[in-house]
Amino acid sequence: MAKELPIVPTAVPGSSVETSAAASWREYRPEVRESQKVNREVVLFCPDGAISIEKETVTIDLHICKGCGICAVESDGIVMVPEYTGVSGVFGVKEGNK
Amino acid sequence: MSKVLMTGSEAAALGAKLANIEVLSYYPITPAFPAMERLSKYIDDGELNCGFIRAESDHSALAAVLGASLAGARSYTVTNSQGLLLMTEVVYHAAGLRQPIVMAVANRAISAPHSRFPEQGDAVSQGASGWIQLFCENNQEVLDSTIQAFRIAEELRTPVMVNYEGYIQSHTSEEVEIPAADKVTKFLPLKRMAALDVKNPQGVNTVTSPDFYMDYKYRQNEAMEKALTFIPEVTQAYNTEFGRDSIGNLETYKMEDAEHVIVAMGSIVSTVRQFVDAQRQQGKKIGLVKLKTWRPFPGQELYAVLKNAKFITVLDKNIVFGVGGALATDIKAAFYGNSDMVINGFIIGLGGAKSGIEQIKQAVESTESSEQRNSTLWIGM
Amino acid sequence: MNVKINLDQLPKEELFGQGNVGCKGCGGAIAGRQAMKVLGERTIITIPASCMATLGGNNRHTTWKIPFYHTLFECAPAISSGIRAALEAQGIKDVNVVSWGGDAGSADIGFQSLTGAAERNEDLFHVCYDNEMYMNTGGQTSSQTPYSALTTNCTVNGKKTNKKNMLKIMEAHDIGYVACASIAYPADLMAKFKKASSRKGFSYIHVLAPCFKGWGIPSDQTVEFARKAVESGLWELFEVEDGVRTRNYEPKLIPVKEYLTPQKRFSKITAQEIEDLQQQVNTRYGKVGK
Repeated sequence: MAKELPIVPTAVPGSSVETSAAASWREYRPEVRESQKVNREVVLFCPDGAISIEKETVTIDLHICKGCGICAVESDGIVMVPEYTGVSGVFGVKEGNK
Repeated sequence: MSKVLMTGSEAAALGAKLANIEVLSYYPITPAFPAMERLSKYIDDGELNCGFIRAESDHSALAAVLGASLAGARSYTVTNSQGLLLMTEVVYHAAGLRQPIVMAVANRAISAPHSRFPEQGDAVSQGASGWIQLFCENNQEVLDSTIQAFRIAEELRTPVMVNYEGYIQSHTSEEVEIPAADKVTKFLPLKRMAALDVKNPQGVNTVTSPDFYMDYKYRQNEAMEKALTFIPEVTQAYNTEFGRDSIGNLETYKMEDAEHVIVAMGSIVSTVRQFVDAQRQQGKKIGLVKLKTWRPFPGQELYAVLKNAKFITVLDKNIVFGVGGALATDIKAAFYGNSDMVINGFIIGLGGAKSGIEQIKQAVESTESSEQRNSTLWIGM
Repeated sequence: MNVKINLDQLPKEELFGQGNVGCKGCGGAIAGRQAMKVLGERTIITIPASCMATLGGNNRHTTWKIPFYHTLFECAPAISSGIRAALEAQGIKDVNVVSWGGDAGSADIGFQSLTGAAERNEDLFHVCYDNEMYMNTGGQTSSQTPYSALTTNCTVNGKKTNKKNMLKIMEAHDIGYVACASIAYPADLMAKFKKASSRKGFSYIHVLAPCFKGWGIPSDQTVEFARKAVESGLWELFEVEDGVRTRNYEPKLIPVKEYLTPQKRFSKITAQEIEDLQQQVNTRYGKVGK
């Protein structure tokens, strides 16, 4: 039996964020080392909308960050660190692992 | 209802005007251009409040109309032959997006060799596109079908092509009864179905995986099949509302006791009617089935009216190379295993070649005498 | 018209980009994000076949939070023309209608509908996000591929014809606004989008949006090379507003070699070709010598 689908082939706005597989693509992830040094323009250089800056707090959403490294090149205060975490897992993203 | 002498082009344009189209786009081509010019004149004269996009190609014309439809406007275009072929990509795409676009096609032969004369090969080339296709015998039917097409398209979310032949209809005047404008407006209530709407944003036509693609196609086909029962409902409602006698998917003519039946669609049906009348006067048991709905193909309905015939002569003003006429092929497929009648297909009138009483007579005689049964024969060269 | 963008006052909401399925470091996605920061939610975007169209979503999911339509290849500006006409028919105002093509969907297969919409002066704007090759099919040559660049179907010595000058062509349409931008200069890019959206009639914006894969640079260099293209003088940031041409940025004029030679696609460029390009830049910027 055919699935129930919208008549016009359409997608739900903004829903890609739920299905993002970006974390599994990453070989390196950005880490904010000195948030006061982060260039505010870097928000506009992220292809994935993963960086937000609220006052002095720089947040990187590792659910959608693909680890391209542009932010670390374009700004001070951010460095790329390898995702490979040895025996604890290949490319594993773990909270508190920073 | 008033009667006015008008060409098929004028009937198409008037039908679209009465349907209160909101966006029009086209790219000029012969012989569809008089319908286009008439529509532009309606707009210029303030008789029709409609946006017009003066497209730089046929492809863009249908694309513009599609964009307008996706953004919620009732949209219309006109083309034929090379124009329709250039549009082909958008024709399929619009059907997949389930947009209720109505398009008039002033059927004309396809190049090469170059010909600007009538033939149904252009419409037939789009037979797998997912558009409902109606073929009109006369200019009254062009007007009626255009109005009905919007109701069919909008209910089924499936685009509709209204076919009438170049020159034979597009440039020839006939008496046409004009329905009252306010009644047509009532017959076609405007429903907004915008897929592109800033208040309800959606992503249209995202990359679709094998998990979904086939399901969408199933639904598309489901709507097409529903048209077989919905089209007669719409024509019935139209007849009740306007006191007319427009037909559903097909019409039978002098079919009581008919042993030999001619099946045809489009303007040639009028010639066949004359032929049948003359043959009946000579006592021949012959009848006519006129097909108005070619896509979807009303195979069962056709079988029900043709099952008692001994001979069936199918006239095709098109050729599917290496196969035969499209209509004959569809009939043979629909009847497979259910009948032992002779079904002969005839290719006739390509590129404006003679397709008069003489050629029809030749076809009928050939069906009854042919040793080559169930074959395809070319008439009128 | 003078438009200034205050980077601190941009909306926080991401109308495009989060969860997009493009490659990491995608220049096209960066252009899209910068543009959406100024276009806002009352925008309808049509995108013909391209990376930008496919990265927009899969099945029932899309990264766009505005109406987005992945169109056929040739006809995004025609589709957008129809959308504008439909909005007008319904009395819907204050909506940006944008068609957004790659170099193919703008300069090549999409050019006919682009020139048509521009000539009709449709009330919409077209964006060409230019990565200088057909990246959605793996990196073949386009009319926007620069002289001597290697592509997947020009593999020996690189392309031996010039990049078609789309900005000159679009200027020749005598439309109200034509602009050239680069993703490395977001304030300038966003000011240009703001201008285009506030104008009636047709506007054209050409954006340099590098593809690290096609160009043969590391993924973290996307923005850096969009910058070097400008600083070397090879990519000029300018606009033509109502016939008045303005250079929006004076480049530092680093040697063109610094832009070209780190890119693998220019690995077959000759010393003479580099010299010729340097001379062209020098002439354009009125510089004597090297």
